[in-house]
Amino acid sequence: MKRSRVLLAVATAALLTGVLAACSDGDDTAGGDDGPVTIRLLEYQQARADAVEPHLAAFEQAMAEQGRDIEVELIVDPLTDEQFRTKITQQFHSGTAPDVIDMGSTHVTGFAGAGYLLELDEYLDEWDTWGEYFDPVKDAARQVDGHFYAVPHEANVQSLFYRKDVLEQLGVDTSQPQTWDDLIARLEQVTAQTGEPSIVIPAGTAWGGGTWTEGFLPIAAGTGSTFYDEETGRWTLESEGLTASFDLYARLVEAGLMPVQDLLNPNPWEPTKYVRFPEGTMPVAAQGTWGWRYDWGPEGTAPIEDVQQKVGTWDYPALVPGTEPYSISGGGFVYAINAETEHAEAAMELAKWLSEGTAAAEQLAAIGAAAPHPGIADIEPYASDPSLLDAEEKVRTGIRAPFGDGADQVSQAVQSATEAILLGDADGEQAASAFAEEAAELLGDALVEQ
Amino acid sequence: MTSVPAPVEPATRPGRPAPGRPGPRRRGLHGRGLIPLLLGPSVLLIVVFVVAPAVYGLYLSLTNTQLTGFAARDPQFVGLENFRTLLGSDDFLASLGRTGQFVLFSAIIGQTVLGMLAALLLRRTWLRGKGVFGAAILLPMVVPEVVAALTWASVLSSSEDGTFNRLIGLFGGAAAAPLQEWPMLSIVIVNIWRGIAFAMIMFQAALEDVPDELIEASRVDGASATQVFRYVTLPLIRGPIFLYLLLTTITTVGVFGLVYFLTQGGPGSATELTSIFIFQRAFQYSQIGLGSAASVILLALLMVLGLTYVRLTKVEV
Repeated sequence: MKRSRVLLAVATAALLTGVLAACSDGDDTAGGDDGPVTIRLLEYQQARADAVEPHLAAFEQAMAEQGRDIEVELIVDPLTDEQFRTKITQQFHSGTAPDVIDMGSTHVTGFAGAGYLLELDEYLDEWDTWGEYFDPVKDAARQVDGHFYAVPHEANVQSLFYRKDVLEQLGVDTSQPQTWDDLIARLEQVTAQTGEPSIVIPAGTAWGGGTWTEGFLPIAAGTGSTFYDEETGRWTLESEGLTASFDLYARLVEAGLMPVQDLLNPNPWEPTKYVRFPEGTMPVAAQGTWGWRYDWGPEGTAPIEDVQQKVGTWDYPALVPGTEPYSISGGGFVYAINAETEHAEAAMELAKWLSEGTAAAEQLAAIGAAAPHPGIADIEPYASDPSLLDAEEKVRTGIRAPFGDGADQVSQAVQSATEAILLGDADGEQAASAFAEEAAELLGDALVEQ
Repeated sequence: MTSVPAPVEPATRPGRPAPGRPGPRRRGLHGRGLIPLLLGPSVLLIVVFVVAPAVYGLYLSLTNTQLTGFAARDPQFVGLENFRTLLGSDDFLASLGRTGQFVLFSAIIGQTVLGMLAALLLRRTWLRGKGVFGAAILLPMVVPEVVAALTWASVLSSSEDGTFNRLIGLFGGAAAAPLQEWPMLSIVIVNIWRGIAFAMIMFQAALEDVPDELIEASRVDGASATQVFRYVTLPLIRGPIFLYLLLTTITTVGVFGLVYFLTQGGPGSATELTSIFIFQRAFQYSQIGLGSAASVILLALLMVLGLTYVRLTKVEV
């Protein structure tokens, strides 16, 4: 009997050891502070991984010259934004996230709030370049608790991209539209001639977070209504501006100007931004600065030949009386550092290195983003790209999209409300009301202006 | 109503000790502790990977735990608040309704009926090419879930290049968008396609146990093929049928990837099954407490359903 119990105990222990070994990360490259330090850098977009990879050896060399033995392990895990957010959340929660994560700035609030990201105030204060960052970029990076949790390495301007060549051919005015009424009249001209939808603005649930950051937010932010109060940390869920924004979506859908069927399909950006806009059958698209390279550049996903000549950008037209056309900044990528990293200083060195000088200039030109500080404007190849330099100018002068704790939940409610418009289940007012109700439920009383 | 005779079980089977009289070998194994040794690893795995997560999920369902945002730093015990919220939520109740429809039409009706037909066909002596037919039915089960979903997404694509649209184009039909126009019907058909093989295997095995003598005797007595199936075959395989219904109900309620990769729960919430509702709440909206509560409610419903099946048929599970 005793022997059998010993056998049982040994078998159980062996199994438990196996289970625990299987569950463990199996990667002790992080190591202690003695000896070489390995920093794991995560890129979830292939183009960004390709852009950053050539600079890692130079970083290691520069660190070696300072007497620091730092190696960078690049983890390339191509995912959509939604997939990335879901996956990295689990990694943060389980303590297996990499040291440095290159992510959209819209993700930072949620992760910083949960305590997954390292507070960087002290590191940034000691970094000279940080003092030169454009104020709108710094303001956007500051979280609701007043601290910084990420290093912005690019800035983005959201605009309406249009096909100059196509509109001119159709005899449609290409000057800056002053109001949405003006723009809608032009879009109707296009649709009347082509029989096809003429504009894509991200909407619905299939586009995920893009519906919020690239679609709804730039429109709502220009209405002048308070959406998020940074002082109280609360969202205002009912306002004239919000209703007008939902009403705009409804008008575009009812007039047949938006590609409803495409927006309801999974991966709606493929038939719209990767097919219809490049082929010219849908000549207007709401888009960030990265459209110049990442989407439609020579090495982009859906290249447009002579993109600089064929494509132009408009500021967002005024939606409500008393406002003017505007450009809107925000949504660029940042380097965030895992709060549980064992090598915070080395990770910060990497984030700084990649955010300035040639490393930054080459990444910005490859991705198609504006510089977040003025120190890159003279560095090639960025210095030779007029569209990016123009975007950099707009970063300084554009309005800033509001962001705060609970943005993820507000984003979900916007997705649902715009989906209802696409399906014909709601008009603008009904969608605004449904949005307010769902957002209030998701946010809870503490985050909603009563 | 016709009473259904219970299947006849032999009192004892050759080579098997009678009930209540454990043989010397069984006692020997027990005495040496070999049974606990053999069962131990399984029990441990079940405890670690099933029981413990379920208990943790139950705990989470009683809190307002979030995965992101400042609220994630200080989760609070909220008692039954999550359950109250869910049971008063039209979205959640609607997702339960859609899940019921999905299970009823795809698993209980579609897979069971077609699986049975396939199993009966394969028993026909006159059928040629049984191997090919069986393989064709089995193939969907072999294909990984994601591959199956993406394949069907391509077939049902709204573009004119989609296989479905090419097919209806051959007959002069206009291009359609099945995943937008008939989303629930589309996912029901895809799930039937995928699950029919398991039903066929289960029913084939059950039909093998039906004595040929009984079938022949019924035919000699003048019973038609339908009557033989209704009054002889069906009662004899009632147990396996209900066991299959139990298993397919549980697995179909848990279907996630197939539907998520096809429609992501849309358009709108037309295919938002409870599994997708839970995923969205827990991982996309980061409300892991609420998502856990939804999982607990689903688990409770499944247990009630499972026990009902077992009670109805006295199936041994």
